[in-house]
Amino acid sequence: MLFWVQRTRWLLISFSLGAILFFFIPHPLGLSVQGYHVLIIIFMTLILILKEPIPLPAIALQLIFWQVIIAGSTPNEVGGYFMNDAVFFIMGSLMLAVAIVSQGLDKRLALGIIRLTGNKTWRIVAGFTTISALLSSFVGPHMVTAMMLPVALTLIRFTSKKSTGNTQLIAALLFSIAYGATVGSIGTPSGGGRNVIMMNYWAEFGSGTLSYIEWIKMVYPMVLIEIPITTFIILKTFPPEIKILDTAVRRLKAEVGRAGKTSIREIFSVVLFAGVLFGWISLSETYGLGSIALMGVFLFLAFGLVDWKDLSTGVNWGVILLFGATISIGVQMKNTGGAAWLAELSVGFLETLIPDIHTLRAVISVALSGVMSNLLSSSATVAVVGPVVLNLGGDPILLGLASVIASAFGYFTAVAAPACTIIYSSGLVKAPDFLRAGWKMAIMSILSLSLLATLWWPLFR
Amino acid sequence: MVATIMTKKEKRIDPKALKFLTAVSSAEYSKPTLKLGSLIASVFDANLGVVYVGEKASEFHGSSVNMTRQNLDNWNIIHPGLEVLEWALKELKKMNPNDANLAKIKFNPDHVYEEDGRVRVFLPGEENCRIELILREGELVNQLRKEIQLENYDLAIIGGSQNKRHLAHSLIQYLPSSIFVLQKFNPRKKYKLLLLVDDSSATTKSVEWGALIAEKLGWPVRTLTVSKTLRFGEGYQGAADLAKAYFEKKGIEVEQFFLTGDPVRTFVEFAGDNHFVIMGASTLNPVKQLLFGSKPIKTLERTDVPILIVR
Repeated sequence: MLFWVQRTRWLLISFSLGAILFFFIPHPLGLSVQGYHVLIIIFMTLILILKEPIPLPAIALQLIFWQVIIAGSTPNEVGGYFMNDAVFFIMGSLMLAVAIVSQGLDKRLALGIIRLTGNKTWRIVAGFTTISALLSSFVGPHMVTAMMLPVALTLIRFTSKKSTGNTQLIAALLFSIAYGATVGSIGTPSGGGRNVIMMNYWAEFGSGTLSYIEWIKMVYPMVLIEIPITTFIILKTFPPEIKILDTAVRRLKAEVGRAGKTSIREIFSVVLFAGVLFGWISLSETYGLGSIALMGVFLFLAFGLVDWKDLSTGVNWGVILLFGATISIGVQMKNTGGAAWLAELSVGFLETLIPDIHTLRAVISVALSGVMSNLLSSSATVAVVGPVVLNLGGDPILLGLASVIASAFGYFTAVAAPACTIIYSSGLVKAPDFLRAGWKMAIMSILSLSLLATLWWPLFR
Repeated sequence: MVATIMTKKEKRIDPKALKFLTAVSSAEYSKPTLKLGSLIASVFDANLGVVYVGEKASEFHGSSVNMTRQNLDNWNIIHPGLEVLEWALKELKKMNPNDANLAKIKFNPDHVYEEDGRVRVFLPGEENCRIELILREGELVNQLRKEIQLENYDLAIIGGSQNKRHLAHSLIQYLPSSIFVLQKFNPRKKYKLLLLVDDSSATTKSVEWGALIAEKLGWPVRTLTVSKTLRFGEGYQGAADLAKAYFEKKGIEVEQFFLTGDPVRTFVEFAGDNHFVIMGASTLNPVKQLLFGSKPIKTLERTDVPILIVR
């Protein structure tokens, strides 16, 4: 019993604080009772997501029933907001990632990269960063990192048998993948679940729309600027001990060469995925990103390129449940006035420090997303912060974009971005490594975003 | 009273049935832990489990991490935890060169299976071998507790770490087995066995375990009894005398010490840096231990010598 209390103390703390706020603290002036109750639920949920005393699916479930029990929503209302195109997209892209990764295309990718970069370490790091960023902008960082990590680890293994040596080289190779993939993930709507969540909020709140191509036009320059700077930061922070990876590259080529010629199955998988990409770029305004992703999954299943068993075990359905629940509470936050109240509160609190309202709105949207994404995941951050940002006033599209981009600034910890979590799980990079490079990446990213917002975006809006 | 318990329990230790669990974290830091784990297991002729507890990825990105690991399998790159377990098996073979059963065992990273929320390495020929290799992911104390409950381990052997003070409380309070925390252990150093004796029921088992270790390793033994006042009650005096008698019966010489003062401070000062401490687990109820701590918790927090807390 005592052990259970110790394990779940953050659940007890969260619910106790929620109960105190609900029963003993009256709702603030200017905020409706329902809005207040929705904010209590969000407050409790944030504690649970941060400390994870219970499994994520359980956190999602409590979000659903609390909305019905204390926030005054009807079950059908909650259910209606629960499933939408953003959730379809997250579900579809996770399944597509499993389908693509299982084809073994990473060996072809490895060969292509090595042919491009040669055997100099700095060129390999630059190549990893560039390819990870470009691919991740279209297919998402989780899929890219899953495919690139084995390439990097194989190079590392062929460089030295000792896992304790060459720590800088290891860090440089791994961070080039993680930071490259993270930098790229803002480039297009399909680069990450958070992008689609924001698009969904724009549509849901009547804030306007942004097509796939328009998104690329507005955001991709930032990706292109960040790629060389990221490479520079990584090479300066982790100067590799070995300048030329001659033997490792040769052995990698030999290893990859064993995969044989490209099979029909592999070619067909690439064609299918290219079709999905084409659909996202040209048809998503009509059919939505989620439906197209699910159609892609359907085709992979129908042509026997992946088994349902692999998809069902490879996808974390709890996360999908959580995103559905988080988006539904986000919409409730908007509908009950909770989001507007929080937005006003933030503006009122900070307006003495930053008198210019345009700058203030930008700072709030960037700071809220940037800080929270280092604690939660970036998608969860956008799901929670999105409604507040869109209620700040000003141009919701620009503020939403700034918020989504800032949510990708989760460079400081291993939890924020999937790419960072994946390289951390290799056991070869440590938490302090993220701090060493992360602060430089954050400064670079904030400067790039400021440049984009002040020089580039005015050309479009 | 103590004498009666000791006589009844004298034949209670069945070494063949004992199971010890050693937690390892890396080839770099866990060698002393594994070495002493192996030594203690051989002293007691016990089965030895080696567990690697890795950090669990945030559930948000759990499926991405799993997908990557499956892909890494295709490249013959094994889980970092399995690499540590492979290293542990090699080290155990080096440490026990005469163990024919152990020598036969081959590590194969493909021969692993998931059961009960953990990954177990299947070791061909393990029916004759008394080693188990286990991979777990999650919070250390929680995972060790689950493993101990699942396999009924009698002793958990854990390396000392930087965050010892933070861990000490949870380890002692929540692990349902005896605990051996290895701190600054130097295999080349000549240690003295320091047995902390009082009138608690846990002292009996401490004496039994201490006698086995001293007998096999040939370490000199000291017993220390600390009273807060100048008067040593019958319970304390009796326990110390019976412990001495138990050792002498086994042919082990014992030096007895009776000191006055704050028990924990006296234990720590007396232990210095050249003792191997054995003490009984607290008999305080768990809530009191949580609120006020206990002698074992405070001793573990304050000393840097290896310490075995017998439950």
